[in-house]
Amino acid sequence: MEKSFQMQMEEIKEADILIGIPSYNNVRTIGHVVRAAIAGLAKYFPGARSVLVNSDGGSTDGTQEEVHRIQIEDFKTILTSHPVHPVHKIITPYHGIPGKGSAFRTIFEAAATLKAKACAVVDSDLRSITPGWMELLLRPIYEEGFEYVAPLYARHKFDGTITNSIVYPLTRALYGKRVRQPIGGDFGFSGKLAEHYLTQKVWETDVARFGIDIWMTTLAIAEGYRVCQAYLGAKIHDAKDPGSDLGPMFTQVVSSVYSLMENYQPLWKEVKESQPVSTFGFHYEVGLEPVPVNLGRMIANFRLGVRDLMEIWRKALLHETVLWLESIGRLSDEAFFFPQDLWVRLIYDFALAYQTGSVHREHLLKSMIPLYLGRVASFVKENQDSSANEVEQKIESLCKSFEEMKPYLIERWGEVLRR
Amino acid sequence: MSEIWRSAIVASFDKFLGKVITFLPNLLAMITILIIGLITAWVIKTILLRFLKAIQFDRVSERWGLTHILSKGGVTYSPASLLSRFFYWIIVLVTLILGINALEVAATHHFVTQFFNYLPHLFAGILIMVIGYLVAVFLGQAALIAAVNAQMESARLLSRCVRWFLIFLSLTMALYHLGIAERVIVTAFSITFGGIVLALAVAFGWGGRELAKDFLERLYKRKEREGEEEKDRISHL
Repeated sequence: MEKSFQMQMEEIKEADILIGIPSYNNVRTIGHVVRAAIAGLAKYFPGARSVLVNSDGGSTDGTQEEVHRIQIEDFKTILTSHPVHPVHKIITPYHGIPGKGSAFRTIFEAAATLKAKACAVVDSDLRSITPGWMELLLRPIYEEGFEYVAPLYARHKFDGTITNSIVYPLTRALYGKRVRQPIGGDFGFSGKLAEHYLTQKVWETDVARFGIDIWMTTLAIAEGYRVCQAYLGAKIHDAKDPGSDLGPMFTQVVSSVYSLMENYQPLWKEVKESQPVSTFGFHYEVGLEPVPVNLGRMIANFRLGVRDLMEIWRKALLHETVLWLESIGRLSDEAFFFPQDLWVRLIYDFALAYQTGSVHREHLLKSMIPLYLGRVASFVKENQDSSANEVEQKIESLCKSFEEMKPYLIERWGEVLRR
Repeated sequence: MSEIWRSAIVASFDKFLGKVITFLPNLLAMITILIIGLITAWVIKTILLRFLKAIQFDRVSERWGLTHILSKGGVTYSPASLLSRFFYWIIVLVTLILGINALEVAATHHFVTQFFNYLPHLFAGILIMVIGYLVAVFLGQAALIAAVNAQMESARLLSRCVRWFLIFLSLTMALYHLGIAERVIVTAFSITFGGIVLALAVAFGWGGRELAKDFLERLYKRKEREGEEEKDRISHL
């Protein structure tokens, strides 16, 4: 822990609410995020002692200076009186593996040291955050006795494809809680849960990077903390090329999900069905910008995988699954279709291969990317003309397939690991 | 005359008896060394096999592609069994050499010294080959996956080039370490490696001018086309 960081916390001593903002070169958007957070605290928690922690990964574009500079001059803009307690700002670099998880670790340390009752973390590249998010993420913890709040967003029907095709259905099938955005990025949690997170020895793994979100959600569900979700409206990020991050993003998230399966196997083997969780917030429709998708490139990548990566996949898959994939690889662009059942089976088979170590883990996960792109291409193709609600029903159907095929996973898990 | 004859025979017999008496303990020592050596080899083989099974060596070998290569080469033993047998025969070989040395026959003495001097080189050579092969398989597979994810049509060719270059490099290093035709090996490697680079340069620069031009044009046009193509704006998380 940085000495200046420690000294600042010693000065503050205790806090009721802590807001964490991880950042790395987000000068364009972080000002808005900090302003929304401070306004939200002033408006909804005027009597609480609040601290805002910016855990920065060594930004060189003036992100830290921007956080330092931002303050709300005129509280009339948020229709509230001046807050009783001013919001303290702590700006500190984090240590460890560069990544979101390491930034969160510093935030958890601050929460534990300051004995915060309720905490929230929000992404620093958000353009759609409003002061209302603070209430939605914090009030269930501060006043309702919940210990973890997952976000619920209005998203474009083709957005969040790792969430929709792997993380949400798999987490729901395994742990039995219907948390729709388990890797949403913006969460609320109690100080007690933050302390629990800190005690875990995961800070040298993929959890320290993109795996942090699914790890936090899974731990909260699996260890019996009271979990709910809050509807935050639209989630709009700062523009960047999402394709450029796919490799590490995909492998880190999926490896975290698979590692957690290993840790919690006695628990998820007993879970028979999923249950909805409490949802806060007022649900409303949002106009969303269209998302262009290059289907041809995705299908081409899948075919290339079928041609060149089959040797690796064979070590993870059953013979009939291999034949099924080969037949899909021969389909034309127009006829291309990647069935839902096959996808579920692949996710389960790769989970088993991850446990047995029949292929080097990083190679195994990276080799899944063409399969993932094939499934996404098929999903987009099937739903070009569908409404957001219809797409949501398709995702629901995928979740049911994951739940129905869980006995297959349990049976093969025992079979393969006994060998 | 008969006295001379008799004393010659007796002297010869005494000499022979003396030699047998001197040789007999050496022979017994050799037999003892062989028996102890064979028992030790068997014990070590059994312990090693159990240890390798406990650390799931076969599974790791499967992951690294070693099992696949062995089965391709017609080897029916599992990698753990093969490795334990290898050490068994190494110990048997060392025991045999020690046994021969125990006979204290002048002709074998030089051979035994040379063998023991060479043994570390042999082990180092084998180790270089095994590690080189494993690294080649690993990096070849990594290159294949990276190339497929980067949508390179020639992903498999690239992967094979990486794998064979590393196998060739480790083989060269192993032979150099074993002292087998050191100069020839280094020269052969330099010629082959330099030759490949030169062949590519000549192919692109002269022989395959048109082909190279066509290839580069197609590559450039594909890049241009990709730039014009619609980019994915999907947020994956």
